[in-house]
Amino acid sequence: MSNQSSVEILTEWDIVAARQLGRNVAKELGFGTVDQARITTAISELARNIYLYAGQGRIEIQQLTENGLKGILIIAADQGPGIPDIRKVMEDGFSTSGGLGAGLPGVKRLMDEFRIETIPGEGTDIRATKWLR
Amino acid sequence: MAFLNACELKKNGVSKKMNIQVNLEEIDNNLTGFIRGEIDAHTAPVLREKLEAYQNQDGLKAVLDLSDVDYMDSTGLGVFVAFYKSVNAKGGHVKLKGLSSRLKRLFDITGLGEIMDIESAGKGGN
Amino acid sequence: MVQKIENQYKEILNQYMQRQSEQNLYVGQNFSRQLISENISPEEVISVHKAAMQEIYGELPEFVWHSFDFLIEMMINYGLALQERQSLLQRQEELRVEMDLAANVQETLLKTPMPALAGLDIGLLSIPARKMNGDYIYFISDSEGHAGIAVADVIGKGLPAALCMSMVKFGMDSLNNSPADPKEVLGVINRVVEKSIDDSMFVSMFYGKYDSNDSTLTYGSAGHEPAILYRAKSNSFEELYAKGLLLGVSPAASYEQHTVQLEKDDLVIMMTDGVTEGRTDEGFIEREVIFELIDQKKDEPAQRIVQFVYDELERMQNAELRDDFTLVIYKKV
Repeated sequence: MSNQSSVEILTEWDIVAARQLGRNVAKELGFGTVDQARITTAISELARNIYLYAGQGRIEIQQLTENGLKGILIIAADQGPGIPDIRKVMEDGFSTSGGLGAGLPGVKRLMDEFRIETIPGEGTDIRATKWLR
Repeated sequence: MAFLNACELKKNGVSKKMNIQVNLEEIDNNLTGFIRGEIDAHTAPVLREKLEAYQNQDGLKAVLDLSDVDYMDSTGLGVFVAFYKSVNAKGGHVKLKGLSSRLKRLFDITGLGEIMDIESAGKGGN
Repeated sequence: MVQKIENQYKEILNQYMQRQSEQNLYVGQNFSRQLISENISPEEVISVHKAAMQEIYGELPEFVWHSFDFLIEMMINYGLALQERQSLLQRQEELRVEMDLAANVQETLLKTPMPALAGLDIGLLSIPARKMNGDYIYFISDSEGHAGIAVADVIGKGLPAALCMSMVKFGMDSLNNSPADPKEVLGVINRVVEKSIDDSMFVSMFYGKYDSNDSTLTYGSAGHEPAILYRAKSNSFEELYAKGLLLGVSPAASYEQHTVQLEKDDLVIMMTDGVTEGRTDEGFIEREVIFELIDQKKDEPAQRIVQFVYDELERMQNAELRDDFTLVIYKKV
């Protein structure tokens, strides 16, 4: 079962809208302040990646219920250039050393589950989940 | 014109000044260079990077003045050998001048003095 | 567990709020150490703090609670930086273990049997500045009284130098000819090295062939620090210089060789520039210093002389070895 809503990312202000959407859903699900901050930071990073590297894309937020567990799923999808070397962007120190922020390893740490699919020239689809404990 | 290079290197928490200055100026394929300081494993990459910008020009004539180089180790030698080989392969010429007796000995022992155009301090000049 | 931490924190905070003593702060400092060891992130600490404040004071102006929420947001990236640091520390440890293994492999790979020849006492020491050694000694000997020694130094140090060194070893192995002349050996290794390495890499090498039948040393050099000959009879030092270009610079390079006759108690001192390029606070260590050191111990066995020279040079440089250090002494006995 899932409820979904999404934000198109075109300008930097859309990052704020995506955060807001994520926070509302997280709050509604009953996530505490710390987890809300983690979820919105993850959304920020993903939306910023779309804004900076793909130009445009979409952040989708879904509420999940699975085996009695409640959770939040963030989907970041774009039709941008894709990521040529996933191993490199998932490496610690790669994005932080350039001052780009927490990067994808940061998103992975902030959330419970993380999956990335990317095809060079076609786009990227990242899914990150956090479960309510 | 001047390419001052005094990078701060953090080493063991102590800030250490990188002791090299490389000034290069090119007019009509004539490269004039003046190098000052120490050329060792720390500073050699700075020198290599600056020289690499010119080494693929056809028929480059380079004259590098080393009279203010107080120390050079084998890493520094490696930079000059690589530069010499690339420039030579493109029909150019490299001359090193103003070598101190310590530097001259280094070139002589390694046999590089035989194949490269080098000139000790005190000889030639203007 | 979180409950336990929350209670402890509330207790420590409460104590401090009542007394503000240094003792309370010290307890807090120790507690923060425990939080770090249990991987409690900064944002969680603030959240715990907020909860403790709520329990102790109940009613506080709204802006106080808002400020804590803001601080939690601010700390998320610090928390990530902390986790990243932990994972990088782990990676560094993995690399350290890998380097140790590589150094062991190198040690085994470059092991060379020291020849036992009548009338020749050999002393030898090779100490890398880092884990991997860019200096190399290779011995080759036969039952006819011939022994060759190669002392090689790859430009630079550490891993790249060590990789390059394996190539020299295999070049020497393929020669496998102990009575070979230095100029031939150097010529062959030069072509091996020239073909295989990039322009800014090169190797210097001294090659000496000792013949115990007539006590002669024939030597050649490919851009290597000249060996030193100590003459016992005249109590004097001379350089064994032979013209020759560094290995790997030009395929056309050719090498000279010369022969010296060794007399009783003469010493042949072979080394890399890690020995001669030492620097103290006052400046460079001149060759004369090395001559003096050898002179002090010239009557002792070769290994003792080598160790003494190393110990003294290390002392002069405050135990800071800048380059790989290799010293070999042949003593005619």
